[in-house]
Amino acid sequence: MNSPLERKAEQIDWAGKNYLVVDDFIGVRQLLRESLRSLGARNIDQAASGGEAIALLAKTRYDVVLCDFNLGDGKNGQQVLEEARVRNFLLPSSVWMMVSAEKSVESVMGAAEHQPDAYLVKPITEGVLLTRLNRAWHRKQVFRPIDQAYAEKDYLRAARLCDEQIAASRVHETELLRMKARLMEKSGEPEKAREAYERVLAGREYQWARSGLAKIRMVNGELEQARQMFLGVIAENRYYIDAYDQLAQVYQHMGKYEEACTILERATKLSPNSVPRQRNLGKVCLKLGNVALAEKAFRKCIAIGEYSVRRTPDAYFGLARVCGLKNDPKEALVLLGVAQREFGAEHPDMPLRAKITEGLVYHESGDYRHARKAGDELETQLNARPERPDVPTCLEMATLLFAVGVKDAPVELLCYVARNNHDNAVLLDEVQAIFDKARMGEEGAELIRAAKKEASDLMNQGVLLWKTGKLGEAVAWMRTARNKLPNNQRILFNAAQVLVSHMKEKGYDELMAAEAHEVLAHVDQLQPGQQRFAQLMEQLAALVPKAEEAAAEEEPPAPPEPAA
Amino acid sequence: MDDTQHSQQLALFLASTAHDMKNSISVLSGTLERLLDGAASQANTADPQFAQMAQMLYQTRRLNDNLMQLLALYKQVGQPEYPFDVQPIPAIELAEQVAALGRVLLQSRGIAFEVEVDPDLIWHLDEDLIVGVVSHAVNNAVNYTRDRIRLALSQIDEVLEIRVEDNGDGYPQALLDAGAEAMSGVASGVDFRTNSAGLGLYFAREVARMHRHRGRHGAVRLENGGLLGGGCFILTLP
Repeated sequence: MNSPLERKAEQIDWAGKNYLVVDDFIGVRQLLRESLRSLGARNIDQAASGGEAIALLAKTRYDVVLCDFNLGDGKNGQQVLEEARVRNFLLPSSVWMMVSAEKSVESVMGAAEHQPDAYLVKPITEGVLLTRLNRAWHRKQVFRPIDQAYAEKDYLRAARLCDEQIAASRVHETELLRMKARLMEKSGEPEKAREAYERVLAGREYQWARSGLAKIRMVNGELEQARQMFLGVIAENRYYIDAYDQLAQVYQHMGKYEEACTILERATKLSPNSVPRQRNLGKVCLKLGNVALAEKAFRKCIAIGEYSVRRTPDAYFGLARVCGLKNDPKEALVLLGVAQREFGAEHPDMPLRAKITEGLVYHESGDYRHARKAGDELETQLNARPERPDVPTCLEMATLLFAVGVKDAPVELLCYVARNNHDNAVLLDEVQAIFDKARMGEEGAELIRAAKKEASDLMNQGVLLWKTGKLGEAVAWMRTARNKLPNNQRILFNAAQVLVSHMKEKGYDELMAAEAHEVLAHVDQLQPGQQRFAQLMEQLAALVPKAEEAAAEEEPPAPPEPAA
Repeated sequence: MDDTQHSQQLALFLASTAHDMKNSISVLSGTLERLLDGAASQANTADPQFAQMAQMLYQTRRLNDNLMQLLALYKQVGQPEYPFDVQPIPAIELAEQVAALGRVLLQSRGIAFEVEVDPDLIWHLDEDLIVGVVSHAVNNAVNYTRDRIRLALSQIDEVLEIRVEDNGDGYPQALLDAGAEAMSGVASGVDFRTNSAGLGLYFAREVARMHRHRGRHGAVRLENGGLLGGGCFILTLP
């Protein structure tokens, strides 16, 4: 065969790699093993189920995994992949090929968090396998430094690496632009994300790029435009499920819960096995009072979560609420018990959240005596531990506590929220509204004012120390401020900024760098995708002394922001 | 109401049956390829059993192609039912996969396979569908060629043109007509019972038409002539 096909740049040695083949049909396993052997492979393990696969993955680091999506009862291929990634059973260089009998919807959904490196449709033949393996391998080489920076959350460096690679590898240009757009979204730079999407669309219409533009519109509050764009994407390819999820979000922002529910229902029909999608559907249904559909969604969510590392207790809480609405608080309590047993170990705030739901269930079913009892128990729990759950849970809890007649605990919760979010006007309005509803409007306004002042005083003192060059004192001051207001994002950002400035002036310090990382990780957890997070992560990474490189030209640090 | 429920059940039944058969057929054709490959390396090609096995492989391939098309078609390729998946793919890798899929069959029939492709050409397409359609065209050409088949991929103006040519006597008029019909949109007139090529052409046309870009869509056509003077199957994608 005198063809141009024999031209092949670097040959990859597929013979020496470790392989795992997962399929519940022995004939297919044997066939795949033979195909791999003909590529020279010697080390080939086989698993007939998801459980067997996980056991093998835990023992051996495989270079290549060929995994059927449909594995009969138990975990499916996607769940095996997710678990393997979450439990760190895969090398960064491992290639995961998802195999299915027909083109799977998942392969075009695009937004799944844990994507395989390639999807293969049966029948799999040696030639196709080899081409796809080579491609996945080369792609890994191109993406490895980017993935590394991504894992370190240095999104701006990762984006720069994307730019460099785009110039070098035309085959991956589209995918690199997609990655860059995602990085820019995570860095709080929607304009640059938009540029990347538009560059893709200038060449070819891709639904994920159109969807990306729509998402930017949504975040900007241009809800009607976003809605139309998502509808357009779905009209083009009704299997692009991510657009359904996003569209449901748009409808929720618009306050149109009926429409959100309808679109999520359609999405779950097309792709039913997503834990987060079923959970969202259940929550929207609860808002609408559609108890029957909420129940169905939460039950499905629990069922598919059984084999998934991505399961969360939310479906149990949702289902308990459903039971309350159906006047069956007994069943609700059983569910809350199960949730605490199943999730107590990984979720420290389970007792709190279970108790909130218990109170809501009693309150909604009209049993005010038991609701009050739950409220009192909640107050005791709050007094026993200083940590507070996330803001929505705090607000939910305060609302419930006021409703059942508890006074001190909800006031304390709302003050906590106000202190830690002193510059978030929308949230402070919500807090005020809860006070108003509890007939504590004036008292509440005064408390919020005091909370705001406390936070800005702490901030301003830190900035003053920084500006007058007292970096050591500024660092110490911001530590105190952080202790007092552990979840105030402005204070956290300034604390990290002061640490970075200190290291820029006085030299790198491992302990300080670790502290800054910890602070930034925390703020990213509170609210991901902020510009200052990406910038500080980049500055922090640049401070680490490199083996040979001399400290190149460095931009002067941005001053910490003074309080508003 | 009852009718739709019935047809849904039928579709479900067809789907699971077809998937099951697909597994068996992949094992069957994989095993045959291996046996043929082994026989070829031991220079047993003169053995009459070799020719029979080659024929078996050819038939298994046809079965597999038909099954793949049925699976895709009953889910209405072209209608927004198939999860259509366009990606940038190097043309040379398309050729590589088609060549690999046909290798054993072509060798067993003593057919020379020539490939012509610009190594830097990249195109946006649904790889699984296009590899399927072009492989099917190559399998078809096995039936018509004397001893050569040529696969050529090149950019012509704003489209990717994929040609499968052979050095046989050319397609019979009935098939050329079926090809023209399939393209003119009166595809419903193609009788799949009397014209086995009709299904393949219909499928190829649907796949081509799914590929759209700036208001244009893909197409297929059949001709006689080309570089080898026999039948030509031509797929163009915008």
